Amino acid sequence: MTAARLVTRRVVELLVVFVGVSFVIYAMVFALPGDPIAALGGDRPLPANVVAQLREQFHLDEPVWRQYLYWLSALLHGDLGTNFAGQSVADKLALRWPVTITLALTAWLIEVVVGVALGLWAGLRRGRAADKAVLAGTILASSIPVFVVAVSAQLLFGVRLGWFPVAGTAAGWPMSYLLPAACVALFGLASVARLMRGSVIDTLHSDFVRTLRAKGLPRKEIVGVHVMRNSAIPVLTFLAVDLGYLLGGTVVIEGVFNLPGVGNLLFQAIRAHEGPTVVGVSTALILVFLVTNALVDLLHAVLDPRIRHA
Amino acid sequence: MRLSLRITVGALAATLALAACSGGTDPADDSADTSSSTGTGGAISIGVTEPGQLIPGRQTVAYDFSMAVWAPLTFIDDQSNLTYVQAESIESDDATTWTITLKDGWTFHDGTPVTAQSYVDAWNTVAYGPNAFENSGQLANVVGYGDLNPAEGDPTTTEMSGLTVVDDLTFTVELVGPDSQFPMQVSQAQTAMYPMPESALADLDAYNTHPVGNGAFELTGDYVEGSPLVVTAYPDYQGDPPTVSQITFVPYTDTGTAYTDVLAGNLDVSSLPADKMAQAATDFGDHVYSFEAPGISFLGLPLWDERYSDIRVREAISMAIDRDTINQVIYGGLYTPATAWTPGIEPGTPEGICGEYCEYHPDEAKALLEEAGGFEGDMEIYYPGGVGLDEFYTAIANNIRQNLGINAYASPSTDWAEFYQTRLDGDVPGPFFSRWGALYPSQQNTLRVFFVEGGGCDMCIPWYDPEVATLIAQADATVDSADAADAYATVQQRIQDEFPAPPLFWEAYSYVTSDRIAKLNTSAAGNPNYSQTILVDGA
Repeated sequence: MTAARLVTRRVVELLVVFVGVSFVIYAMVFALPGDPIAALGGDRPLPANVVAQLREQFHLDEPVWRQYLYWLSALLHGDLGTNFAGQSVADKLALRWPVTITLALTAWLIEVVVGVALGLWAGLRRGRAADKAVLAGTILASSIPVFVVAVSAQLLFGVRLGWFPVAGTAAGWPMSYLLPAACVALFGLASVARLMRGSVIDTLHSDFVRTLRAKGLPRKEIVGVHVMRNSAIPVLTFLAVDLGYLLGGTVVIEGVFNLPGVGNLLFQAIRAHEGPTVVGVSTALILVFLVTNALVDLLHAVLDPRIRHA
Repeated sequence: MRLSLRITVGALAATLALAACSGGTDPADDSADTSSSTGTGGAISIGVTEPGQLIPGRQTVAYDFSMAVWAPLTFIDDQSNLTYVQAESIESDDATTWTITLKDGWTFHDGTPVTAQSYVDAWNTVAYGPNAFENSGQLANVVGYGDLNPAEGDPTTTEMSGLTVVDDLTFTVELVGPDSQFPMQVSQAQTAMYPMPESALADLDAYNTHPVGNGAFELTGDYVEGSPLVVTAYPDYQGDPPTVSQITFVPYTDTGTAYTDVLAGNLDVSSLPADKMAQAATDFGDHVYSFEAPGISFLGLPLWDERYSDIRVREAISMAIDRDTINQVIYGGLYTPATAWTPGIEPGTPEGICGEYCEYHPDEAKALLEEAGGFEGDMEIYYPGGVGLDEFYTAIANNIRQNLGINAYASPSTDWAEFYQTRLDGDVPGPFFSRWGALYPSQQNTLRVFFVEGGGCDMCIPWYDPEVATLIAQADATVDSADAADAYATVQQRIQDEFPAPPLFWEAYSYVTSDRIAKLNTSAAGNPNYSQTILVDGA
């Protein structure tokens, strides 16, 4: 398959997935019990005509598929819609993306640096104390819920020790982002370390490494140049997919650390049953995820000639 | 493999570059130079919910901000005394037509004078149906409100006929019926009654981004969602001068995080979330404030269910609930068990009218239930999930199960919207969550919302008794305030005789503060009066 056909196929797939997923999300928000407009004022009821006005404005009395079509046609005109208070969803997203991107990339960086280093270290010392320590550490890291990690880290490093701000983005990058990013990164980091460890062990046993060793190449060069690079392929795939996940999966962390990011916006919107905002944010997240996935596939094709020619 | 390495390095470089530049354009960055830790003396920071709407006729969670930026016509202090702020006087002979005279020389933050026209225009804008302002209901009793909010179609006018400008500083308000409590209805928490300058009316969206009020503090920058709002003392303010020079409102998604930030000393004040009430005294010592508030909670009963039709069943349920223990264990003793049908802070409330029925008497409760013929089947106690009420309703279910032998269990909804809809539709499966925080501390407010159909807390106590409605209307028409308070107390006797729902607690609104705050003051609205906050020396 040529690169052009590969790209075209990916784009078509992407569109189909996009329409399907966004409709499902729209339908799910629609199916949430309770009237979002009636609950808009908290426990203070809105005047009846205010409710009527808003219901009409947001087509809430019409069937879900028509609401979805209104939304989709507006989207094709480049309009992500507004929330129930009349604020533009696109503006809200524009305001919040930088926070989420900063958080995700910081976390990603931690995964890359710490995860790869730990994996390499453990892989080279297979079966020894270091390997076992990394194994135990990664099991622990991936089994504690992120919420518990976040709240504990906040109390220990923010309140007790005072090394990092407790919440908010006032201290800017990196101080405001390091602690939340480390909490988000913990799970992926554990996966990266174990993936890298396994990959390193496999590579160490491969024929070409044995040949290199037989040729008398120094160990430093074998590990630093040949083992590192060949072990990186599966890890790289994981890291790329994980970046997509990080961009959309930071809802809990943004809440705990009060970072005004996209996840935070999504959380508030779901609580308020704000269909337009939920779908707008989700759409953006789906796009990010699909695009990173597509890029990974293409990257794979570049890296591994066998895929390109299959 | 050389290619793969190059891509990796390139990605890393791009990552760093992106992280660096997004750090610089961070919307919340500007808070660094305005937070209390770096500000000059007299600045305080407060954790709030993201306001979204700042226009007083629209805001639903920005009361603290509104009270800082606008001055009300009247102010009710924590002893429930009413004083005039922007109003010189509010008078009426018949309680139906009220004449409001404004103080001279007051200005909005843009320098324009506060006039009778500012009020009339603002109120018409708030009440105008097509604007769909969330708080427009506060003006519903003004003559002409209906014309701006027709049941069908668009209104044919933009003004309420009940509002008349007499001169620059005087206007009259005609109400649909006599209402002795009107001066209270224009007090600080009734934000729909705030004035707006002429510039606001031309572009309401711009006004929401940068509101201009007549209060002690003016907004410095524009409102950007997710970023702190900073207000500084307005030099030309004509009312009582504030004791602090600057207030920063920092939005938090999770009150628990704000609580932790106060604990770390990064924030000065946060409200106290329900799930932290029991530990607050340990964490904060004497920096916990609990303000008596005009809020009351009931255990709403599904009165259409025949099992609850005998008054003795309802009284038995009430006497089976151990309010004191629940208050101590779950709310750290910050609430007050209710002994009447309105909060104790509302003047004239007949405290103790509920008598033994609001006390814990498990044996009498069981005997009373048996006398009434017992209770068949299960009792599902329904409450909104996800808002920290789980322990409270589980405790009530335990009380009823242990003391009355009824198989009672607490069952949460998915979220507030589901609960609210279910209650409005009258579909609740059993006893349910029922509370109201009044915006002005008059028995009228609490009695109206619970016991008048369409009064506000709809279906909170699904019992709309014509006699109660008549008695409330009579009390409304009583001009003398002491007589009116007595008249509302008479209404409570009628309610007590029917006992439609067990009263639970008089609420307190609770806050925690940093060490920088020497004293947090309050008003009858129950929230802190931030402009009168006392800081410790040197803070």
